[in-house]
Amino acid sequence: MPLDSSQPRLAAGCRWGKDGEDRVVLFPEGMIRLQGTGQTVLELCDGEHTLQEIVESLSKRYKTDTAKIRDDVATFLEALRQKRVVDY
Amino acid sequence: MTSNPLALIAEITHRCPLHCVYCSNPLQMMGVESELPTEEWIRVFREAARLGILHAHLTGGEPLARADLKELVEAAHSAGLYSNLITSGVGLSESRLAALVDAGLDHIQLSFQDSREQSANWIAGAKAHAHKVALAETIRRFRIAFTVNLVVHRQNLDHLEEMIAFAEQLRPHRMEIAHAQYYGWALKNRDTLMPTRHQLESCLQVVGEAQERLSGRIRIDCVVPDYYARYPKACMGGWGRSVILINPGGEVLPCHAAGVIPGMQFDNVREHSLEWIWQKSAAFQRFRGEQWMAEPCRSCERRTVDFGGCRCQAFLLTGESSATDPVCTLAPTHHLVESLQLETDVEERPEDVVWSYRMNPAQEGRHVNSRPRHLDPSSR
Repeated sequence: MPLDSSQPRLAAGCRWGKDGEDRVVLFPEGMIRLQGTGQTVLELCDGEHTLQEIVESLSKRYKTDTAKIRDDVATFLEALRQKRVVDY
Repeated sequence: MTSNPLALIAEITHRCPLHCVYCSNPLQMMGVESELPTEEWIRVFREAARLGILHAHLTGGEPLARADLKELVEAAHSAGLYSNLITSGVGLSESRLAALVDAGLDHIQLSFQDSREQSANWIAGAKAHAHKVALAETIRRFRIAFTVNLVVHRQNLDHLEEMIAFAEQLRPHRMEIAHAQYYGWALKNRDTLMPTRHQLESCLQVVGEAQERLSGRIRIDCVVPDYYARYPKACMGGWGRSVILINPGGEVLPCHAAGVIPGMQFDNVREHSLEWIWQKSAAFQRFRGEQWMAEPCRSCERRTVDFGGCRCQAFLLTGESSATDPVCTLAPTHHLVESLQLETDVEERPEDVVWSYRMNPAQEGRHVNSRPRHLDPSSR
């Protein structure tokens, strides 16, 4: 699981692309189409923002309990790390 | 309305320094004089992106045989395509790789014939193994996706665990374990390539264990040989449904092997737009949808899962391109595959393995070569 100080970024060989009007993440075997919060989180995964900063940015936007957001984002990022879409 | 294609397989040349006995290229190959020029490919990549294609797989032959590869990668990248180089690595130096990565290359897929050098060179008909091993280390220095591709068959499946361990220490992000598929040169060599049922079963177990062990570290994708499957593969995700292949001369095909089907005529990107070819050309319409299907496919609930299997395989094995793929256990011609299984399913090996090596259209061809197995220590 990522730490507060982790700086997640798209994994090697994964990058943003476009499918029609949708922003998608392309990788060797295909692509994922992201919407809403998932897309917001991944757009912040630039290798510079820390997990803590990502969580702060989301909690400002959604006015939800920070601990809950942190749990959700960490789980989401870990799942994408397992799929080799992000690393940290 | 036809859905849009997602992937373009760009066979940019048939030239190749390797002579792999399972090559998917057709037996009749094109020479350098018929290859599509740089500017035509650049236009094709732009058209492909406009058509909705996301991935461009640059393959061959050996794509590095083209001196303009960097320009082609650049063109694919600037059109917005995700570019994948499918290569033997022969002809790739660190500086050339750096130039390709600079040009926007996203993914490199490096193939290995075996973990054992002597056997690998024997299967490839060329001394390439040591170079590939050294190249893997170079690739790791760049921030691109790296896949190691292992082609497996009767002659190397008995030490698959060793092959996976070998691939693991090359530290790729992904490993592809691909059983030879029997088209082109592989069909010519089918007798010596087709695994026994026992080999296949133990392969699935070994792969399953490796997938578990390497989970989260190296992703393993395994392509199984469908001769032993219960139902056929959804070849290319269905005819004219998601993939376009362009051969070195610019002809546009629904798959690698479609040229074997009698009466097929392929339109060329030199004369037509890719969009017109995808939507209107006879080749892409011929087996698109369900109209062409005969029974048992026509009323089968799996017709939307496997699309009747592979048209080329149906033709190659039954002589009838619109027949149900004979690997399907429901096919009236399934006995053809069963008898192939029986012929193959003997544990004894012939003393001599006689290959038909793939020819290189850039050189004089080498048709047949053989090496007595018992003289080959690496195969023990």
